[in-house]
Amino acid sequence: MTSWVDVICIVIVFLSLIILSNHRVAAMIGVFALQSFVLGLLPFFLHASSISSRDIMIGLVTMILKAALVPYILFWAIRHVSMRSEIKPIIGFGASIIFGAIVIAGAFWVSLSLKIPGQPASDLVLPCSLSTVLLGFMIMVTRTRAVTQVLGYLILENGIFLFAISLFDVMPVLIEMGILLDIFVAVFIMAIVVNHINEEFEKNTASVVQSNMGETF
Amino acid sequence: MKRFWRHFKSRNQERQELYKEGRFFNMLESFQWPWHVPFGEFALKLDSLSLIFLTAVTILVLCAGVYAVGYMRQYRTTKSMGLHIFFYFLLSTALVLIVLANNVILFLGAWEMMSISTYFLIVFNDEKSSVRRAGFLYLIMSHCGTFLLILMFFLMAHNAGSMNFEIISHSSFPVAFAGSILLLAIIGFGIKAGFVPVHIWLPHAHPAAPTHISAILSGVAIKMGIYGICRVLWIIGVLPDWCGYLILIIGVVCGLMGVLYALGQHELKKLLAYHSIENIGIISLGLGVGLLGQSHHMPFLSVLGFGGALLHVLNHAIFKGLLFMGAGCVIQRTHTSDMDLMGGLARTMPLVSILFLVGALAICGLPLFNGFISEFIIYFGLFQGLFHLPLQGAFTCAVGIISLALMGALALACFTKVYGTVFLGEPRHLQEPPSTGKISLLMIIPMLVLGGLCLWIGLFPQIMANAAFQGGAYLSHTDLASLPMGTIFYPLSLVISGVFLFFALVLALVGIRRKLLQGHAQPVRETWGCGFFQMTPKIQYTSSSFALLIVDFVKGILFFRREGGDVKGKFPAKTSMSSSVHDASEEFLFKPLFARLTSFSKKLDMNRIRYTQIYLMYIFLYLIFLLVWKLK
Amino acid sequence: MNIIFLILSHWLIVLTLSPLFLGIISKVKAFFAGKKGPSFFQPYFDLQRLFQKNSVYSRTTTWIFCAAPIINLAAVLVLSALVPLGTFKAPVKFSGDILLAAYILGFARFFMISAALDTGSSFEGMGASREAFFSCLSELALFMNFITLSFVSHSISLSAMIGANFPLSWTLMGPVLLLVVGSFFIVILTENARIPIDDPDTHLELTMIHEVMILDHSGVDLGYMLYAAAIKFFVFASIMVPIIVPVQSGNTAWDMLIFLGGMLVLSVTVGIIESTMARLRLNRVNNLLLIAFALAFFGFVVKMWRM
Repeated sequence: MTSWVDVICIVIVFLSLIILSNHRVAAMIGVFALQSFVLGLLPFFLHASSISSRDIMIGLVTMILKAALVPYILFWAIRHVSMRSEIKPIIGFGASIIFGAIVIAGAFWVSLSLKIPGQPASDLVLPCSLSTVLLGFMIMVTRTRAVTQVLGYLILENGIFLFAISLFDVMPVLIEMGILLDIFVAVFIMAIVVNHINEEFEKNTASVVQSNMGETF
Repeated sequence: MKRFWRHFKSRNQERQELYKEGRFFNMLESFQWPWHVPFGEFALKLDSLSLIFLTAVTILVLCAGVYAVGYMRQYRTTKSMGLHIFFYFLLSTALVLIVLANNVILFLGAWEMMSISTYFLIVFNDEKSSVRRAGFLYLIMSHCGTFLLILMFFLMAHNAGSMNFEIISHSSFPVAFAGSILLLAIIGFGIKAGFVPVHIWLPHAHPAAPTHISAILSGVAIKMGIYGICRVLWIIGVLPDWCGYLILIIGVVCGLMGVLYALGQHELKKLLAYHSIENIGIISLGLGVGLLGQSHHMPFLSVLGFGGALLHVLNHAIFKGLLFMGAGCVIQRTHTSDMDLMGGLARTMPLVSILFLVGALAICGLPLFNGFISEFIIYFGLFQGLFHLPLQGAFTCAVGIISLALMGALALACFTKVYGTVFLGEPRHLQEPPSTGKISLLMIIPMLVLGGLCLWIGLFPQIMANAAFQGGAYLSHTDLASLPMGTIFYPLSLVISGVFLFFALVLALVGIRRKLLQGHAQPVRETWGCGFFQMTPKIQYTSSSFALLIVDFVKGILFFRREGGDVKGKFPAKTSMSSSVHDASEEFLFKPLFARLTSFSKKLDMNRIRYTQIYLMYIFLYLIFLLVWKLK
Repeated sequence: MNIIFLILSHWLIVLTLSPLFLGIISKVKAFFAGKKGPSFFQPYFDLQRLFQKNSVYSRTTTWIFCAAPIINLAAVLVLSALVPLGTFKAPVKFSGDILLAAYILGFARFFMISAALDTGSSFEGMGASREAFFSCLSELALFMNFITLSFVSHSISLSAMIGANFPLSWTLMGPVLLLVVGSFFIVILTENARIPIDDPDTHLELTMIHEVMILDHSGVDLGYMLYAAAIKFFVFASIMVPIIVPVQSGNTAWDMLIFLGGMLVLSVTVGIIESTMARLRLNRVNNLLLIAFALAFFGFVVKMWRM
């Protein structure tokens, strides 16, 4: 049976694939915000008959944190590093898409033999969250920039979140942990950006000095 | 349409009655003759499997023979023909013997006869060092293959206690043993068939040989590898599950790599050689589907797969022969095989251009011609596999469909490139082409025959498809009469009626166009240069630039080299650029391997000057090794 | 005789209706540009004008150049006979007709590319090269869609795969169909040379694919090409619309109305996309096509997983 949860799961994986194939960092962040927004919609559809206040709370907090705050910080970050496009990914965009498709197939195949506690809202939740996690990993592995690495991490985290939300009747603490993790990520990004800026400056000065030395000797 | 179907059904019934009486294809003719070779007997057998291959061999050997009479005229004053003619007939005999042999020793003897005679035919132009090298490479590779084949056949014969194929096929094989036999067969026969990555002799030998030999090599000689695999499949009968997957995946890899390498070539015959690898891939796809059907006990699926593969064997022999002959005419006219220098030949040799077009359309698997029929059957089998096989099988079949579609699209890109750059446009080299190479009628006639066969199988496939399905059923040890063959023949007949519909439409549209243009003048001008005048033919797209987008896209897989072409400064100096695609398996696998081997044998060789005894010691050590081995 | 009548009536519908949707697209584009725009029937007028003109040929060209428009038009007409139009069932349908559909288009493409190379112009060679490349990728996506759809419907006939014949509709296979629709939409845009893959309107040779290939065609030949393009869009759209709205109310008039409404909405969507999006850079197009492939593949995986 098709439910909205199914559609949301599919859309989330699809958006991770889009991020994987994108070459502009700003667009990647935008798509990530969209993905988080869709993820934030999920709690509203979990209990179709009766939406509890807790559902609404979690949905809203997710949206505010992931779809607004984190993208805002990321945009701020790329403005400061003045980076616009991913210059050289380790594997090309075309190959990324193909590998991404294979990874999705792999995740679905693996999830055939995985058992999870309780009854998730839809049977697509497990493979889709697994695919999202793996795609996030792939972005972290194949992309070189710090911001794109963070994005990969965030997507990975979205995958875990997808899994947790749909299971939160069974494991209620998991979700609060996830939200705490988000706040941690926000701090994490800022730290990385600051670190990144420092690194850039140091590297520049170092290389400049080295090249000068090369010329002198 | 219903009437058409009914008519078709009744025709089919008639034919099935013929089968039952054993008069049509299913005659199991066999022939024995005492032969004073240990374990050997001169046993021949004609069954529905060998029939397909025999048809291909006969057609192509005859056509290429006639073609050769015209083609070899150019060498009449410079070379003696006797040896060449002798080996040509030896090769023909060997090919016929291979498909008919019913005995291991006879088969291997014929196999060697084929390898040796092919070698001498390839090195016809032995004054060129590249030809000698290509021949040598072929000889080495084919002997490596034969070594494995001897091993495989003797293992098999040992297990069964007989050298007769018929008797071996009645004995039963343990599953693991059967699997390892098939592995040996895949490598041993695969070298001859041109499976990636052991195909490296193929793109060297085909361009080196005279054209009619290339046609035979590509059309039937490499098919002998496929025949061998089929024969082994038939003998073993029951195979482990993974064999089907393995052959299907080999098909996918061969097909895609073959066509991608072909796209990167700008030498006409080399390109066609790589296309043979692609078609071998398509054939293996069919075989893989058949095996999957066999191991999952779906006789219909296995007949579809095997039948499609066998039909494609025949089809490929026909259109590839045609294409090579066309290429031979082109090369004789232009005295070059570099496509980047050709162009506009459709105006100077219209008949050849049309025949080449027929071959090109057929090899792309486009409707109207025979390639489409066999690909349709293989597609059909793959879709049946998709619907009815369990999870892994269905997924593999989906991969097969996708890669077959991709192969089709890439082949289309490749042959539009060939046709467009060789026959269309303006000649790309500025001086007039030397017009000494006259195309004799003897070269045209066999091409006409092959082109006609392409069209005949494409439009009236029933007879040949039936023969192929008979072969397929024989290969999978099932009875064709018990299968719902209408499920494939009905769509096939409708496809053909669709093609006729297309044909009628084309005629109608030609008529309308003529009507509309009536009374109008049709001025002939220069090609519009977007406002520029005096365009030289040099600015046309060449075959390399045409394929560059695709080659660049897959340069991760291909070994693409690009040299020069940098433009520097405001007034750049004259510069030149060259690009070429190299074979990754040759560059990364075989060259290092051979280098290792050479250095190793050099090391062994070093002591020779001082000690002859060293050699004696090698022999001694080997003897001891043999003794110890036997002791155990 | 009956079957011939059916085919002819099918073609009559296709031939009369197809240019209208191109007119709708350009009207939408004109609306977004703040213009009044040409009439809805402008494509008909264009065709009429072209059919009355004579053709100019290049000295370089051969018969291939004249054959390409004819074969192109014939191929799309054969294709249209395989596709149901709303309540009109496809006159030719059999198991495996998707293969005929795909390969007859390939036949047309072979001649289109050859005709472009026939002129000996570098501009058309450029278009031909691009067409050859992108068609490989769009074929990949198209076949993946076909595989997914046929896997869902357990049939390899176009008529059975789409629309009201669909045994399982959105309620059952929602996610799969969603992915297929997304993927197929990209295929439609590619095959019909629409923004963001190609621009049917500009004549900047460096940026185009399809338009630059028919640069040298004129008069009746160009008319054939344009007609074929219109029919191709119509046919692809009528494959897609029944997938989105698989309605089968039983009432012929209603069903036809829904079908035509769907076609209208689809054309307007294409128009909106053309007016709001820019053409992609050439080396990004292949990513888009690969995404189309990945979408359909994802759908296939989901379906297979649910099996």
